[in-house]
Amino acid sequence: MIRHKQTLGATLVALLMLVAVSVMAQDKIVVDFYYPTAVDGPIDEIIAKYEADFEAMHPEIDVVPAYTGSYTQTRDTIRTEIAAEDVIVDVAVMLATDLTSFVEDESIVPAQQFIDAMDTADAFTAGFFPAFLANSADEDGMIWSVPFQRSTPILYYNADLFAEAGIAVPTNNEELIAAAQALQTEDRAGLLLPVAGTFPTWLYQSFAAAYGQPIVEASPAEVFFNTPESLAAVEFITKLGMAEADGGFAVGPMGGSAWGDTPTAFTSGQAAMIYHTTGSLTSILNNATFEVGVAFLPSGPAGETGTGYGAPTGGGNLYIFAAAAPEVQEAAWLWVEYLASDTVQSDWGANTGYIAATVGAWDVEPLKTLVTEKPQYLVARDQLEFAVKEFDSYRSIDVQGIINTALSSIISGNVPLSEAQATLDAAQVQIDSLLAEYK
Amino acid sequence: MFRPYISQSLLRKLKRMTATPSPLILEKPNTSYGARKTLWDWIFPYVLVLPTLIFVFMFTLLPAVNTVIDSTLSPGRRASEPAEFVGLENYQKLFDATHFIGGRFLPILGNTLIFTLVTIAISVPLALLLALLLNRKIRGLGFWRFSIFYPTLLPLMGAASIWAFLYSDTIGLFNTILRAFGLPGVNWLGDPNMVLLSITAMNIWKQSGYFMIFYLAGLQSIPKDIYEAADLDGATVWQQLRYLTLPLLNRTTLFVLVIAITFTFQTVEQLPAMNNGNPADRGNLVLYFIFQNISERRNWGYVNAMSLVLVGILLIFTIANFVLFERRSDVE
Repeated sequence: MIRHKQTLGATLVALLMLVAVSVMAQDKIVVDFYYPTAVDGPIDEIIAKYEADFEAMHPEIDVVPAYTGSYTQTRDTIRTEIAAEDVIVDVAVMLATDLTSFVEDESIVPAQQFIDAMDTADAFTAGFFPAFLANSADEDGMIWSVPFQRSTPILYYNADLFAEAGIAVPTNNEELIAAAQALQTEDRAGLLLPVAGTFPTWLYQSFAAAYGQPIVEASPAEVFFNTPESLAAVEFITKLGMAEADGGFAVGPMGGSAWGDTPTAFTSGQAAMIYHTTGSLTSILNNATFEVGVAFLPSGPAGETGTGYGAPTGGGNLYIFAAAAPEVQEAAWLWVEYLASDTVQSDWGANTGYIAATVGAWDVEPLKTLVTEKPQYLVARDQLEFAVKEFDSYRSIDVQGIINTALSSIISGNVPLSEAQATLDAAQVQIDSLLAEYK
Repeated sequence: MFRPYISQSLLRKLKRMTATPSPLILEKPNTSYGARKTLWDWIFPYVLVLPTLIFVFMFTLLPAVNTVIDSTLSPGRRASEPAEFVGLENYQKLFDATHFIGGRFLPILGNTLIFTLVTIAISVPLALLLALLLNRKIRGLGFWRFSIFYPTLLPLMGAASIWAFLYSDTIGLFNTILRAFGLPGVNWLGDPNMVLLSITAMNIWKQSGYFMIFYLAGLQSIPKDIYEAADLDGATVWQQLRYLTLPLLNRTTLFVLVIAITFTFQTVEQLPAMNNGNPADRGNLVLYFIFQNISERRNWGYVNAMSLVLVGILLIFTIANFVLFERRSDVE
């Protein structure tokens, strides 16, 4: 019995201490911040630096950052909390394309209400690159999320190989094929297009746009997937890996390359060119032993109408959650505003390779100096002029699943190109039946 | 038949106990058997198992009942709208090839069956073979046993990541070797006709050692003297295996098959490292497909229906196994 009493006593003391600690913490407004990452680097250290800096400015707020894995894991963690009605997260970085789902689920609050309360509301909104705001607003133009770690696909090329062969950097798809065929050897692919992995949709969007019909326009209730432009885009992607005997270009593996392997293959000299995210820029520049060139994604077929450069944006935005108390939401907004400031965006972009989302960030150190040393960083920014809205729709997870499966089926050769149109049509029927209730 | 040794005195006591009147009639003293039991004596065992019962109820029974209920509901468009009762429609949609879930579910279910059957058809006999080889006195026995059991100790996700590197089209070891011999590389995880085989091969490597351990234990519980007797009778090694070892391992085989089937059906953690079921779902498996659909709230009806279909299939396999093997071991 004595022993039991001791245990009981110890437990009580421990409980009291817990209560005391939480009471002490309640002096400050606690903001739980979830963030994923998709790039290499000491992300947690950088975030900790921002946290310290922010808390020095706002001593009444205690930001608690939590690294939550990949974008998908972050989204699923948050969805689980919401489903369990035990929401810990107050503010998070999630994919820009998660917007419609979370608006539908009524689990986020619009950033617009906080922006409207600012003295500099117009300047704040105008400070972002318009392409990065395209996925922040709903159909009525209300802004829900704030750009934070944004990216876009670009063309990386081995500049040494181009110089040796005396070939110009390709600016359209025909030149792209010609260059890839000229530079490929038995041990080196001409062009690696990472569409074999989880999300062929992302890179597919750049081809769809370049052929004249982006996958989505303003309305989240409409998706374009079986148009002649869609077919042309998916045919081009498929032919990159097909043997010349079958009418292909044979400049890379059938079905495309895996997302994570592609930068490694490039920096180890196994590919002359790759498509990849700007988020990989820093690590590619650090790892390559040759001169790395960066260029706009080549444009669609020259001379035809409605073609041109096209690239989707990508990456994550900041969301504030509806379950947080009003004063916590206010504090979370201050943190969002801080993370979206020119200073932080400049630092974040220079450290990770994400494109600083505000125009002003490029005139602030450290980015200002970095771009004079490494002009590659500017290419991604300048391509934004041609960037299109990234895929997002109602039922976006399901629609993206349908699109990914159809694309993967055609690109990998699971169905022959002669059946590509039928595959796109079948996918479009499924998409339209999902979106019917939203029209 | 299994017949435990029971002493006569214990048998008498057991008979007395079964003759005891219902324990619920507490007023009536039971003089023929021990001291009178108080109410607390009767309740006490239940109090002891109560924590377990609560956990089983909260984490097994309640979710199971919820799964059945949710599988008949269709969530509303907005989170605040109530779900609609749709009966068996969610199940029907799973088998509708034009539906966005149904169109993928059946092929993926087919993949899962192939994955499970091929894994078991190779890994269980392989496990038995390895166990037979390693059940002898050979040099470095511990080392060999450990080497073969080692894959089981690795977390599946880690093993899958290693294999994903081996399988990589451009930088992978397998293709590097093939190309060194002037052969064309194989796109192990990117070719729709190869991906399921690649995933299955990894799984066989991963699980065989685990099943081998059960066979080793089974082999070591077989008394040595029956083999001596068989030797005296002039039975060949093959005959000893066929008529002694295999029948005596029946129970082990039953156990291994049951766990192998339930285990393999649910083995999907390798997929995130191995192309996520791509390309074209040719490498996808049911449990992972369920997981892929969880994050969309409006799919919960389908997700629960798929889970129950999976449970149903597992149940069929398990019962079939018991019926087949129990009957055979009874005959012997």
